Amino acid sequence: MPESGLIADLSYRGYDGPLLPPTHRWWVIARMGVRQAFRKRAYWVVTALSAWYYLVMMAVLFFFERAAQSAPGARGEAGFEAFIGRIVWKDQFLHGFGFAQLLYLIAALMLGAGAIANDNRSKALLVILSKPCDKRDYLAGKWMGVFLPLLTMMLIPPLVFFVYGALSYRDYGFLDNPWFFPKFLIVLVLGAAVHTSLVIGISSLFDQGRLAGASYAGIYFLTNFFTQLMVFAWLASQGFRRGGGLRGGAGQSPFAEYVDRLYYVSIDGLLIGLCKAIVGTDGSPQFGMPSPIRPVPAPPLLTTVLVALALCAAGVAVAWSRIRAVEVVR
Amino acid sequence: MVASLQNLTVRYGSFTALDSLSAEIPEGCVGLLGPNGAGKTTLIKTMLGFLTPAGGGGSVLGLDIRTQGREIRQKVGLMPEQDCHIPGLNAVQFVAFAGELAGMPSELALRRAHEVLEYCGLGEARYRNVETYSTGMKQRIKLAQALVHGPSLLLLDEPTNGLDPRGREEMLDLIRSVSHGKGVNVIVSSHLLPDVERVCDHVVVVSRGKVTEQGAIARLKVIEGRPIDIELKEESPEFVRAMRDLGATVEATGLVLRVRLEGSAEQVSATIFRTARQTGAQVRGLAVAQRSLEGVFEEAVRA
Repeated sequence: MPESGLIADLSYRGYDGPLLPPTHRWWVIARMGVRQAFRKRAYWVVTALSAWYYLVMMAVLFFFERAAQSAPGARGEAGFEAFIGRIVWKDQFLHGFGFAQLLYLIAALMLGAGAIANDNRSKALLVILSKPCDKRDYLAGKWMGVFLPLLTMMLIPPLVFFVYGALSYRDYGFLDNPWFFPKFLIVLVLGAAVHTSLVIGISSLFDQGRLAGASYAGIYFLTNFFTQLMVFAWLASQGFRRGGGLRGGAGQSPFAEYVDRLYYVSIDGLLIGLCKAIVGTDGSPQFGMPSPIRPVPAPPLLTTVLVALALCAAGVAVAWSRIRAVEVVR
Repeated sequence: MVASLQNLTVRYGSFTALDSLSAEIPEGCVGLLGPNGAGKTTLIKTMLGFLTPAGGGGSVLGLDIRTQGREIRQKVGLMPEQDCHIPGLNAVQFVAFAGELAGMPSELALRRAHEVLEYCGLGEARYRNVETYSTGMKQRIKLAQALVHGPSLLLLDEPTNGLDPRGREEMLDLIRSVSHGKGVNVIVSSHLLPDVERVCDHVVVVSRGKVTEQGAIARLKVIEGRPIDIELKEESPEFVRAMRDLGATVEATGLVLRVRLEGSAEQVSATIFRTARQTGAQVRGLAVAQRSLEGVFEEAVRA
């Protein structure tokens, strides 16, 4: 028995306060995941870094606008009009999303690699499942505990850019498509869901977060590397021709179309393809600058969404098969 | 009754882990004993609602083990045998989290976490990351997370595992204190019979998937015929002979004699003292003979 302490009455007293009904415990687990994520400084650093394209774009817009205002007469205004005329607003979100892929991966690893693996190591299930929780609560809680911070991280930069654009560039067509931002939200939700499901599924296979993280990063980079390498090799063989597009143009040869599809056969590519297909764009040059590069056309919407959902289901199924509630008492 | 189990049968494939097991677990502190593979673990799993019985049924705290697993686990606190914690949390956060999982509102869970950690003797160490704890501290935090929501029933699986003698004493004191006069019923699953004997009032012995013995420890230790153990200062063949002449059965083990004689304990004691005086034997100790818990256990397992 303790001899002394800051709390005077050290004898055991029963708890006579309220107890919530024994349902929906997944939210307690999810909330703990969210709290732990938000406490990490690295999470906010990665979030800030993932905003770089939007910040640069805002700076470029701001600079051009100021320059136009300070230039004499109609010349400045015409220059600004020409610049802003080249900008496809929805493509800026696509670029912001595309350029932040690596940071989304880092965030997914930071939040999710240890989510189940570390619990396996520390046998946290013994505690969690001995409470009025079951396997569904645990998996749903872990999933949401990764998904919500990841979605928040993916949402903040484009949301800031959207607010900035809506306030400053309404007259330049920023809000012309009222369905754009809801569609982009779907992209973010699906993107976060794909990362979350895969990282949770892989995490459940290990009992060390580092191993799970290395495995997910390995899959991510290997798929990305080989698809990009093959695309690049084919491009090189075509001599990087101008005019018809650097890839020679889809439709010019069946192989060109195949290479265009290959571009999306990776986690990174799939998410960019999702964005293009849902938002409805093939993309355009970054920062509104003229470019000879023909963007890779958007993949078919239905196929891309189905592939993303299949990956989500596969990740969750792996985790589901690995979590064994009955092992709570060995 | 804390738990009532009738003809409980649990199978893992073709292997029958619990075979028509019936038990009545009374209030208070109960020891769950049994050799390895006897079915203790399966019994705890089933009582927590993790396993669906192939036959029979039962209730824990009045709740059906087949259909009310969640409700049972809300009223039960489990202290697992193995080390377990939530990575990245200190003891207060860990225990508060356990409280929230059990259904406590956040603020109350946090307040209560401080209380039970202080009660379990973690003091200021409760602000440290659990991963830095010693074995004894980990045992205490496991007890704290099991107690945080004020369970009506505590299931303690090998609670003194890995503890040094002092830590073991302190843990047993904690268990004894919680289980007596605090309204918390406790089931202790342990291989350490002295620990069980120290804190428990009742035992349930499980062997080969069946309950082979159950009841109050004091009753189980009683030997049929209520013999009396007498400790003599020195050997006295005259005393033994005189007692046998009175119709007593006397078994000698060194200076200790186990005497069986018709009559109440008081009558037999009076006869013993009278005979000792007459034969010049010097009695240094006299007690109603009892079996050890180990003896009870071995007999129950052999049965």
